[in-house]
Amino acid sequence: MAQQAQPLPYGVGRTSRTWVAWAVLLAALAIAGWYGWSREITEGMIVTGLRNIGPMGGATWGLDVAFVVYWVGVSFAGITVAALIRLANLTALKPIARMAEALTVIALVLAAFAVMYDLGQPFRGIVNLFHYARPQSPFFGTFTLVISGYLFASLVYLYLDGRADAAELAKVPSRLQWFHRLWAAGYRGTPAERARHDRTAFWLAIAIVPLLVTAHSTLGFVFGLQVGRPGWYSALQAPAFVLLAGVSGVGMLIAIAAVVRRTVPGAELPERVFHWLGTALLILLLAYLYFMVVEILTNLYTGAERERDVTRELLFGDFAPIYWASVACFVVSAALLILRFVRRTAALPLLVAAGVLVNLGAIGKRYLIVVPSQTHGTLLPYGTGSYAPTWVEYIEVIGLFALGALLLALFAKVFPILPLNRATEGGDAA
Amino acid sequence: MRDVARYGMVIDLDRCTGCRGCMESCKIENNTPQGSYWMYVFRFEEGEFPGTKVRFLPRPCQHCDNAPCVKVCPVGARYKREDGLVATDWERCIGCRYCEVACPYGVNTFNWGHPEEHYYGDWNAEDVAPEVRGTVPAWDNPSLDLPYGPEQRHIAGGGHLKGVVDKCTFCVQRVEHDLDPACVQNCPVRALVFGDLDDPESEVSKILQRRPSFRLLEEAGTEPRVHYVGGAPPSAETKQIEPAKAEV
Amino acid sequence: MRRGVIAVAMVVVGFALQAVTYLFLATPIGKPTSVRFSNPRVPFAPALFILGVMLVFIAAIVYELLPERGDRRGREGEGS
Repeated sequence: MAQQAQPLPYGVGRTSRTWVAWAVLLAALAIAGWYGWSREITEGMIVTGLRNIGPMGGATWGLDVAFVVYWVGVSFAGITVAALIRLANLTALKPIARMAEALTVIALVLAAFAVMYDLGQPFRGIVNLFHYARPQSPFFGTFTLVISGYLFASLVYLYLDGRADAAELAKVPSRLQWFHRLWAAGYRGTPAERARHDRTAFWLAIAIVPLLVTAHSTLGFVFGLQVGRPGWYSALQAPAFVLLAGVSGVGMLIAIAAVVRRTVPGAELPERVFHWLGTALLILLLAYLYFMVVEILTNLYTGAERERDVTRELLFGDFAPIYWASVACFVVSAALLILRFVRRTAALPLLVAAGVLVNLGAIGKRYLIVVPSQTHGTLLPYGTGSYAPTWVEYIEVIGLFALGALLLALFAKVFPILPLNRATEGGDAA
Repeated sequence: MRDVARYGMVIDLDRCTGCRGCMESCKIENNTPQGSYWMYVFRFEEGEFPGTKVRFLPRPCQHCDNAPCVKVCPVGARYKREDGLVATDWERCIGCRYCEVACPYGVNTFNWGHPEEHYYGDWNAEDVAPEVRGTVPAWDNPSLDLPYGPEQRHIAGGGHLKGVVDKCTFCVQRVEHDLDPACVQNCPVRALVFGDLDDPESEVSKILQRRPSFRLLEEAGTEPRVHYVGGAPPSAETKQIEPAKAEV
Repeated sequence: MRRGVIAVAMVVVGFALQAVTYLFLATPIGKPTSVRFSNPRVPFAPALFILGVMLVFIAAIVYELLPERGDRRGREGEGS
């Protein structure tokens, strides 16, 4: 069996110099992020720009919390797309199934890190959450359903969905063969096995969708149930969270798909895929813009005093630059998507631009959900507060983006990032 | 079975002079680190010159019966005792600060740095030593390290370790020995009164029977245990003389 | 069919474990009036809840991976 190993598909197992250079850079940034965290652990969170609400005039939840919400939001789209491919039989989207599944898993890992960054006692936190977590606290759902349940469910989905590809790769002698054999776990690709996988994947998809809607709604409830925070206390929070999660997730998926198309050898992502993603993004984006308008109108009309104050700060005050920049990101994206939709142009750069812009808008919006209600939303008249992140928080954010990109790049090198083309996949005719 | 008291506080806004002695004595009794003020006194200015009015509003933790902070604590570090005190177990707290964002009154303080680096006062300094006359400094006070209540949890004092939240405890270490909280004890004009709301003979009950009272942010549904007599709740136009900006 | 039965059983047990833990073993839900509302009735109840969630999804792996009796003989006759 000492034959020359054939190259594995989609660049698996082969690294170019460019790839290594990027991997090194991303690793360095990820480590820098962890260095920032190490300062938090040794010196305390005093190294951040966070401070107490009230007599300290600060915000106690800031950039890290905004990014917990952001990353959980991004994780939404991945597995939803994969599940929809199964449930709605969207075979056109099959090529992105694997990167969608990987995106969800990676985004949740990043969210878990962001939570750790934000705890004053992170290691005690892990133990105590398993020991004492209270169902009455919205964090119970976030911890059990989101970080644990949803992450686990997504890993299971990724594992099972990838077995067929792993079995293909396991036939090829390579340094990764042991890994592919392990993943394949004896998959032979018999019709019985394929039928069984279809059934399982179908039911998994059905189970995952309510799980993730619950998970994201719980995250919305973390904010929406707080009567003490004007701007947060609203029935709209849970659904708005779910929507913005879809927006940022689909946008991220578009960007990743575009990068994969350019950098992975042999990766063929037909225009159809991008068209679907663009349409989905447009619908979600328009729905989210509707939510934003409803929220602003409600708060400005005869809103309670403090709600109006917070909303005024968003529109005309200290937070106006970030607010209007986020709105611009969303509106420009919508325009680009509508243009693409109406003109039916194949302008991929426009789509990628939209995908990136909505993520920037989502980051801004997450920040605006978290901070102004603390600095400008105290129900008792302490006075106006302020918050400015420090280098620790910025480097943690950058480090997480780098870690995510690195994990995706590593994944693409050990496993095909596109599903392998098989004539009879999932019951479809060739 | 011993009847459990239903503790509450009455604050007379007509008496408060804004001296903030309560803030100081709270800090010394409970060893809160720099920038953390469990008791806080608002200094309000209302109206336009020459019709300006200045008034003061002491704001301890309200020890609410329907406390949002207790509901949201993910690990049950923040809990409601049977006698009504809302306590924080600094051995269980994971420092998520959810209680802090949930509190409508802004009473929570988080230990941002190493608290031992931010304690107040050098008990041995020349001008301080004769005043304290050999008493135990706040950070050495053993009663702040003991567990309290039938549940035996560590809920007294502040500044125990970095990365946890604490707040006004109604001086649980004193109340357990039938003493008044430090702020009540030290108020020079007796604007603060503490006691059992269920005892018709207690001073708090007698005041509440005699005088109309209000509670802060009643519309939030938190059912606070702190009642105010005299004065008026802050209105939409009420502003502090200077915005609060304590630094850690 | 054995594998199907096991998988369904795992799903049912998983959901049951979640429900029982949430309602009866974890910290009671309600207007907090005493320390009871801050402690789980069974220590590490949240871990049990997560176990229940995981059981439901591991059922999928079991269903796909568990060899059926008589499978080996059937598989030999088929190519890949």
